[in-house]
Amino acid sequence: MAWSLDYLYAGLVALLVGLDRTAVLQLLICRPIVAAPLTGWVLGDFQLGLQAGTLLELLWLGRLPVGAAIPPDDTQIAVGGTTLALMMGASAGADGLPMLLLCLLVALPLGKCGQIFDHLARQGNGLLLIRAEQELARRRPAAATRWHLLGLGFFALASLGTYLGIILPGSLLLPWLAPYLLAKVGDAAPWLALAFPLVGIAVFLGALRNRRILFLFLMAFLLVYFLREGF
Amino acid sequence: MLPLGVRLRILLRLPLLQASWNYERMQSLGVLYILYPALRFIYRDEDLVLACRRHLEYFNTHPFMAGPILGTTLALEEERSLHAEGSLDVSEFKGMIMAPFAAMGDAFFWGGLRPLFAALALLLAAAGFWWAPLAFLLFFNLPHGLALIAGLRGGYRQGLGMIGRVQRYRLPDLAVRCKEGTALLLGALSAVLVADTLRSAEVASAWGPCALLPVLLLGGLARLGVSNLILILLMSAALLVFFG
Repeated sequence: MAWSLDYLYAGLVALLVGLDRTAVLQLLICRPIVAAPLTGWVLGDFQLGLQAGTLLELLWLGRLPVGAAIPPDDTQIAVGGTTLALMMGASAGADGLPMLLLCLLVALPLGKCGQIFDHLARQGNGLLLIRAEQELARRRPAAATRWHLLGLGFFALASLGTYLGIILPGSLLLPWLAPYLLAKVGDAAPWLALAFPLVGIAVFLGALRNRRILFLFLMAFLLVYFLREGF
Repeated sequence: MLPLGVRLRILLRLPLLQASWNYERMQSLGVLYILYPALRFIYRDEDLVLACRRHLEYFNTHPFMAGPILGTTLALEEERSLHAEGSLDVSEFKGMIMAPFAAMGDAFFWGGLRPLFAALALLLAAAGFWWAPLAFLLFFNLPHGLALIAGLRGGYRQGLGMIGRVQRYRLPDLAVRCKEGTALLLGALSAVLVADTLRSAEVASAWGPCALLPVLLLGGLARLGVSNLILILLMSAALLVFFG
C-alpha cells in the first residue's frame, strides 16, 4: 500500500511540474534539475533526484519551446526516471547510480509519448476556442473566458498520461531487464554518468553553430582541467 | 485609469496566458481571459462583445513578453474607448509587435538565460551544493518576474513608448553574451566532470582533453540532424559494450 501511495505522490509532482511546462507560470520547476530533486525529496531521496536532474538537464537544453514546436518531455522523463529508480530499486534491492542510469535509459525512449499527449492537449484546446466563439455569438463574454481555464485540464491530463506512459511500461520492463543489464550498467556507470552531460553539451554547442562560442568552451575546458589536474 | 483591483486581477491572470494554447490561434483565448476584467470595466453590452471578439484573433508571443504587450494593449483600449485621435488600432498593434517580441523573448529567456543558469546550477551541483536547484529557480525568476510585472505596468503607463524602452535593453545582444557565458560554464563543468570520472576510474589524467573529441563529434552529428535521444542511446550502448 505504501508503495502505491508513493506512485501517487510522484504523480502529483508530475502533474504540478507538467503544468509549469506550458500552461501555468513557467517558473521552470519543470526543468529536470528541479523536477527530479523535487520527486526525489517527495519520495525520500533528494540526492538521487538531484543526480537524475544533473544527468538529464543538459540533454534537451538547446531545444526551445517556440511556436508550435513541442520539445521532448524531459520533465516527465525526470520525474518518471527518478520514481522508477527509487521504487524499482527498493523492490529489487538495487539502488544507487547503476539503477538510476538503467531507469533513465528505459525512461528516455518511453518519454517520446509525451510529445503525442502534448499534441493531443493542444488539439483539445482548439475545441475550447470554438466553444468560446459560440459563447460570444450568444453575447455571453464572461462564459467565453471561462473555457480558457479548461485548457489546464487538458495539459494536466497530458502530463499524467506521459507520467503513466513512462511508469507503467517501465515497471514491466525493468524487472525483466535488470538481471541482464544492471551489472553491465554498474561496470560502465562512471562513463555513462559522464556521457549524459557530454552529449547534452555537444548538442547544445552543435546547435549554436558559432565558432566563437565553441572556442570559449574549449578554452574554458582546457583552463579548468589543467588548473585542477596540473600541467 | 483602471482601478487597482482590475489591474491586480490582470496581473494575477497573466501567468495563465498559455493555459488553452492551441494550434488554431495559439494564445488568443488566453489574451481574452487576461484582459477581460479591464474590457468589462471599459466597455458595456455590444461594445464589450466586439472588444472580446477583437482579442480572440490570432496571437502568439513569448509568454514573458506578454506583460509589456498586454499593458500597452490596455492603454490603447482605454484610448479607443475615449475616441482619442491618432491612436494606433489595438489589433494592428498586437499583430505588429507580437512576432518581434516573441523572437526577443525566445532568444533572451529560452536561448540565453535558461542555459546560463542551468549550467551555473549544474556547476554548483557538481561542487556538492544541494541548493543548486533553488539557485537556478531564483536566478531565472528574477528577470522573469520583472518582465511580467514591470512590463505590464510599464506598458500600461507608457503606452506605445514601451516599445522603445524594451528596445533599449538590447535583449538580442544580451542573449549573445549569455550564450558566451554558458559556453564558459559548460567548458568548466565538462572539465570538472571529466577529471572526476578519470580519477574514479583510475585512468591517467593526461587522457582528459581527449574527451573533447567525442564532444566535437557528437556536436557534428547533432548538426547533421541526429536526434539527442539517438545520440545518448547509441553512446550508452557503445559504453555498455566496451566497459560492461
